[in-house]
Amino acid sequence: MSMIKDFWYGKPHTAEEGGRRLGNNYEPKTGLYKHREWRGVKDTFYYFNNIWLYNYINLVMDVMKFGGLLSFVQGLWRYRWIGQTYVPVLHWFDRGLEGMRGETLRASAWHYRAMVSASVYQIQTMFNADTKIRGGKKNDDYYHTFAMKETTWGGLFYGWSDKFKAVSMEMIPYFVTCHVNSHTVHNYIDAVQSIGLPGDPCPMCQAESGLFVLDDLPDYSPLVITCNEACDGSIATAILQDWFIDKPLYALQMPMQFDNDLANAFVAKDIEKCWKFIEEQTGVPMNFDLMCECIERQNEIQKFEWEKWEVAAKTNNYPINGVAQALYRIYSSQFGDLPIWHETDAKVRPIMEKCVSKNINTFPNTRHRVIAWSCAPLYYSNWCTWAYNCWGLNVIMNMDSLMFDMTIRTDSYENCLEDCATYHMWAPMRRMAVGGMHHIFELWDYMERFNCDFVMMYDQLQCKGMQGVHGLFEDEFRDRNIPAIWMPHALPDSRTVSRAEIRRIVNDYMTTVMHEEPLDPSLLELDDDMTW
Amino acid sequence: MKKIAKLLGMGVGAYAVLFAVFFFDLDGKFLFYVFEPFVKKHYDNMERKDMTQMPYDMNKYPDYKYDEV
Repeated sequence: MSMIKDFWYGKPHTAEEGGRRLGNNYEPKTGLYKHREWRGVKDTFYYFNNIWLYNYINLVMDVMKFGGLLSFVQGLWRYRWIGQTYVPVLHWFDRGLEGMRGETLRASAWHYRAMVSASVYQIQTMFNADTKIRGGKKNDDYYHTFAMKETTWGGLFYGWSDKFKAVSMEMIPYFVTCHVNSHTVHNYIDAVQSIGLPGDPCPMCQAESGLFVLDDLPDYSPLVITCNEACDGSIATAILQDWFIDKPLYALQMPMQFDNDLANAFVAKDIEKCWKFIEEQTGVPMNFDLMCECIERQNEIQKFEWEKWEVAAKTNNYPINGVAQALYRIYSSQFGDLPIWHETDAKVRPIMEKCVSKNINTFPNTRHRVIAWSCAPLYYSNWCTWAYNCWGLNVIMNMDSLMFDMTIRTDSYENCLEDCATYHMWAPMRRMAVGGMHHIFELWDYMERFNCDFVMMYDQLQCKGMQGVHGLFEDEFRDRNIPAIWMPHALPDSRTVSRAEIRRIVNDYMTTVMHEEPLDPSLLELDDDMTW
Repeated sequence: MKKIAKLLGMGVGAYAVLFAVFFFDLDGKFLFYVFEPFVKKHYDNMERKDMTQMPYDMNKYPDYKYDEV
């Protein structure tokens, strides 16, 4: 009888109830599955039809829609980051969605689908214009594409979006690769060290520069915008990029301080100078009405995000898991407006409304409501899925999601520019992580706002800014009696602190400090050293 | 009628095969053991431009200061 029940509904989560023992599904070392998880008839076939098949089909459709198979294959043959990374993308879904059921599975999967579509859009935009796969020939797309550094908000280029596409140089070849296949980025880190860079600067900057050292970045734009976001490590990246790109380049300058009228005025002026540079290079003036139109659309996304936060903060009905929330939010808010974000929000809204109206407890085995703070390990962004399955640690919110916490005014040019400057200054890793002590300590307010009782404190070992406040946080955690785990990592580089080491640290804390038993003991120790 | 039944049978067969690929992670195994080593070998052996041989000509382009803005 119990076998039939398990077949129909899937095995229950906890060891006391029989347990689904998710760790037993893995093959040793590779993280591949002996078999994918049986989630009960309904959810297994939902996963098969609406996630696995649907996404494989739509992957091909997106490739065709955004540029065609030929340029994709040419790019795949030319660039390591595409062939090695993006083909096993469905395993990225598997890792993030492990153990999820019902509405949580559905809503989280839509977020992944959106990120895949946005990635294909960027990949194909680069390949459509790339001179390296066309024997040096510059086509019309080349002259209608902007290249910028990944920490530059895509919205700064809305004013040309009817004629030009703006794609950041590193978001796809570096940032997203680390989440999907963490092996690829090692090549780029090693490459830049091979020309003499020491091993201790920020590995993000190392990897971004390494792409150029290995000549592994498409040449898709006649101009380049760089930026010193998030910190001065990026200045060094921009210098190397200036050397290797050898094109007209505008370096956006960000003061390290914000919350300051003078800094805001300086950045607003600098954005205008950047626009002037683009106008001069392209001969096309910035269209402010178009800019406002796009900003209004982006504001819609922000307003829905606030609704999601309300549900996450005040109920147990929030149907989006920690990793889907974090990645989707940072991706959409940094890239800027795209139709796929609106399509996704339109699909997620009814799911969330159903959860609220029927009071569905979306993470029923939650023991602690966790806020994750500082910058996450890119190679193990799905740790939160593991932590919920293994320990009932439910990541409600994370720092990166909270950065761009604003809409942008479009009622006048001055107000719009002022808000654009603020938005731009609230960029990834900067607003809180290196934005000064007042901002990094916003953690306490957000803990209260999101009703969290536990902190996962990321400890990026090579971030000099965050290393500087380590002791202050220790003191605060002790004074406030907040359980907090320090999770060491080296952002994209999985060789410094392995996933197994991260799990060991969490396991140790949960047993020795919290005196808790795992929900699924099969997940405590895994040998997944070789996994993507 | 026979034709429809045959087509239906083929559809069900294809669906079952795809489900087997999905359930036993055969796509993952193929990509991990066959596809990735193949493309890695290709990328490792690719001839690449030595970027460090490029001169860094810092005065090639103007400063783009736009102080008049």
